[in-house]
Amino acid sequence: MRILVLTKPVPDPAAGAERLGPDLRLDRASSPTVVNGNDEYALEAALRLVEAHGGEVVILAMAPANAVETMRKALAMGAHRGILITDPALAGADLPTTIRVLAAAIAAAPEPFDLILAGFDTSDGNGGAVAAGIAVRLGLPLCSAAALIEPDLAAGSVRVRRLSAKGYDVVEAPMPTVLSCTQALGEPRYPSLKGIMAARSREIAVRSLADLPEGLAPADRGWATKVLSAAPPEARAVGRTVTAGPADAAREIADFLADRRLI
Amino acid sequence: MPVMTMNAPAPGLVRLSDEQILLRDAVRVLADERVAPRAAAIDRDAVWPEDMRRLLGEHDVFAIPFSEQHGGLGADLLTLCLAIEQLSRHCATTGLILAVQALGAIPIQVAGTPEQQDRWLPRLASGEKLIAFGMTEADAGSDPSGIRTKAVLDGDEYVIDGTKRFISQGSVASYVVVFAVTNPGADKPSRRLSAILVETDRPGFAVTRLEHKMGIRGSPTAELAFDGVRVPVANRLGEEGQGFAIAMQTFERSRPGIAAQAVGIAQGALEVAASYATQRRQFGKPIGELQMVQAMLADMDAATEAARHLLYTACEEIEAGTPDAARWASIAKLVAGDTAMRVTTDAVQVLGGYGYIDEYPVERMMRDAKITQLYEGTQQIQRLIVARSLLARSG
Amino acid sequence: MTPMIVAVAEVADGALTRLSTEIATLARTLAGEAGGSAAGLVVDAAPDAAAAQLAAYLPRVVAVASPATGRETWAPHAAAELRRLVDEGATHVILPTTTDGRDVGGMLVALLGWGLLANAEGATWDGDGPVVHASVLGGKAITRSAFAGATGIITVPPGAVAAVEADATGSVEARAGADAPVIPAVSVLERVAEAGAAVSLEEARVVITAGRGIGGPEGFAFADELAELLGGVVGATRAAVDAGWIAYARQIGQTGKIVKPALYVGLGVSGAMQHRVGMQASEAIVAINRDPDAPIAEIADLFVLGDLLEVVPALVSELRARRGA
Repeated sequence: MRILVLTKPVPDPAAGAERLGPDLRLDRASSPTVVNGNDEYALEAALRLVEAHGGEVVILAMAPANAVETMRKALAMGAHRGILITDPALAGADLPTTIRVLAAAIAAAPEPFDLILAGFDTSDGNGGAVAAGIAVRLGLPLCSAAALIEPDLAAGSVRVRRLSAKGYDVVEAPMPTVLSCTQALGEPRYPSLKGIMAARSREIAVRSLADLPEGLAPADRGWATKVLSAAPPEARAVGRTVTAGPADAAREIADFLADRRLI
Repeated sequence: MPVMTMNAPAPGLVRLSDEQILLRDAVRVLADERVAPRAAAIDRDAVWPEDMRRLLGEHDVFAIPFSEQHGGLGADLLTLCLAIEQLSRHCATTGLILAVQALGAIPIQVAGTPEQQDRWLPRLASGEKLIAFGMTEADAGSDPSGIRTKAVLDGDEYVIDGTKRFISQGSVASYVVVFAVTNPGADKPSRRLSAILVETDRPGFAVTRLEHKMGIRGSPTAELAFDGVRVPVANRLGEEGQGFAIAMQTFERSRPGIAAQAVGIAQGALEVAASYATQRRQFGKPIGELQMVQAMLADMDAATEAARHLLYTACEEIEAGTPDAARWASIAKLVAGDTAMRVTTDAVQVLGGYGYIDEYPVERMMRDAKITQLYEGTQQIQRLIVARSLLARSG
Repeated sequence: MTPMIVAVAEVADGALTRLSTEIATLARTLAGEAGGSAAGLVVDAAPDAAAAQLAAYLPRVVAVASPATGRETWAPHAAAELRRLVDEGATHVILPTTTDGRDVGGMLVALLGWGLLANAEGATWDGDGPVVHASVLGGKAITRSAFAGATGIITVPPGAVAAVEADATGSVEARAGADAPVIPAVSVLERVAEAGAAVSLEEARVVITAGRGIGGPEGFAFADELAELLGGVVGATRAAVDAGWIAYARQIGQTGKIVKPALYVGLGVSGAMQHRVGMQASEAIVAINRDPDAPIAEIADLFVLGDLLEVVPALVSELRARRGA
């Protein structure tokens, strides 16, 4: 199988240092960078599929040039090679541009992919719309919110457990198909020591807009959306701490709920 | 009065590469999740932790100091030290398993022929076989000129007789690099010894005693008896009479490993003490808000960080082939060992009575720290080496 | 171009979801401010009942009977209907922040090249377009954003807007489904309901969340009992999910659900940043924890320092007593 995984470098949410820059876009230099959490589930799923069925896992990111270091962590987990699309003209790119560029990069690969995996959403964007957009650009089916991925190579199809509000749906799509991946697929592995050392010799092909078809990004970064202003959230009123014994504490909670008309 | 010519090259500031950070963090995860839960029992039971040995093998930790050609990771000395440090943060015994494996392999790496290396190193890199370093004897510790174990040539074999003592992991190793007298009449005492690799399943080899120790209690420290043990001449590493030189070269690359163990022990104790200080309440507040406790913690942190960065610099200097390698190795071990002793002692102090009982790991760490001031050359020997190097440059 | 704002509704078991009514309200409000029109879209195998419900909120509802959505994924069909409405003059599309809503959003972005503003906590019409408020970077900032052009897509999470019916009931226009989905359809072989998932976590007014401090799967009995008394749904932290005590579908936080209930009760929840991202917008937060340093204390309106195994039973009897009174 040939599987492409979208791995977006994002500010490490655990570091808690994310902030907006003076241009009101995410300041990507302010925080240590990690592979987006949901993308790691996608990568783990891809690695397990390739271990079971043979093949290759390729990671793709559209990010600043220093994303190579973050991508290397994904290679250390076991991905075979990477593609980084980086171009100053893409700084702060909007969703239509991101989708066009990523889809074009996938289409430009010399050999086709059986599966294209993305995280369900990203911790720095939360739009969760990229996978669907790419499916449209490539004319491929979409299986979103995947919790289990079972390809049938002989039939050329894939059966996916797709999380729903009530549980899950079992869906089946012909390959190639686009999937968005959730934590339910299973914990991402830690990079092994051998994997880390092997990652240094694995290729990350760095491409710019010049390597892709023309017209993917608007001139002068004329993005479709703009941030007008940003402000810190209103601070929550300082809460109260109750240290009384269980019975008194229970009364205090009940009073609080009654005050707020919650009971 | 002679002009002081302090011409030691000025080292640059060490910043870990992304790869080193990844490798360190991978070992840290293993240490946090797999080693930490076992540390107290390993110390209490004082039994060789075969599960830790398997862990280091399965996760390629043993492979770190070996070349890719021999199935290793081809990592540098600093990366090895990062791994020993992380393991030792929780369990000095487990850190030592890696350090001893690396130590025992160095004579093969520095003096072995390609054939010898192909024969022995891959199984050490995988952890399938363990190796010990057989230098110390009852009457030859800091002074190797007292070594009495002898190897006498008989046809194409050496016949080895003698007793080695305080040999880390000597009872679980498949190989021991034995330093034995082959040239009793050599013109210089330093030319008397040869390094010979002995497979421990050869007739005449016996483990005659295991020490009861204050610390690193899971690591067996053995007395090894050689009673007419016959080994092929092909097992000799380097030339006859080169044993002492091989040992000295080995220490240049192994002492940083002990320094790393010491830094790891100090870091582990510091983390326990700092966490305790935020939780333990006295006088109506966490003790971490008491200035006297804060001062102790700050000194512990500063000392540990200083020792760590001295170690990292030493590794980079040694890896870069500095002629001053012995000095760098010694000052790293000297500072790190003393730091570990002081920081762990202070950690016990921060925890008060709780630090003195085995409910918390700091008393174990304090006992473990002591060995780093003793083995692979006592702190006094390290000072001697540093002073000789300094005076040689100043004369 | 006169603004025409389309609210896309979702149907569950033949009925509108609550979020659909919230989105419909927002579309109507924006259209009123803009001097434009608002419409609702229902795409379902049997859309009539939901369309009639939606007409209480909007002057015009387009009800598309799409039998294919009964056996295939919904989003490619809904996107095709929206493309039709765009051809007919729709300028803005408002979608629910659900899996299907996000899928439709991504499809429209790729089809139309429109911008998308995600997770709107609110929107007002300002001059020539909507200004959208959203909480970003795990709640560290509130941004106001707008579209560069006269068109755009907005996704809205549950609880951002209060649903208010319109003064007059709107008209329902029944349509047959468009010819083809926007991408190849995916067959749905089976729809599986999991126990405890009957009420959506995101739509619940009261969420009782169990953290590692609940102690084990048996501890969930406390959460269940409290949820039943307060009319809530049980959620969990990642630690509780990772421990295997409850299904991932119940997880609140960074890689789980984002909730904004009227009441959040944390039982043994420490409040790690990754969890807070998923619940800090809750209207009222009550936390019971033994650890005085648990970060959740910083955002709780009421922080009870104590053993939940003692406090919860006491609370249950207290609530029962008051109910009886």
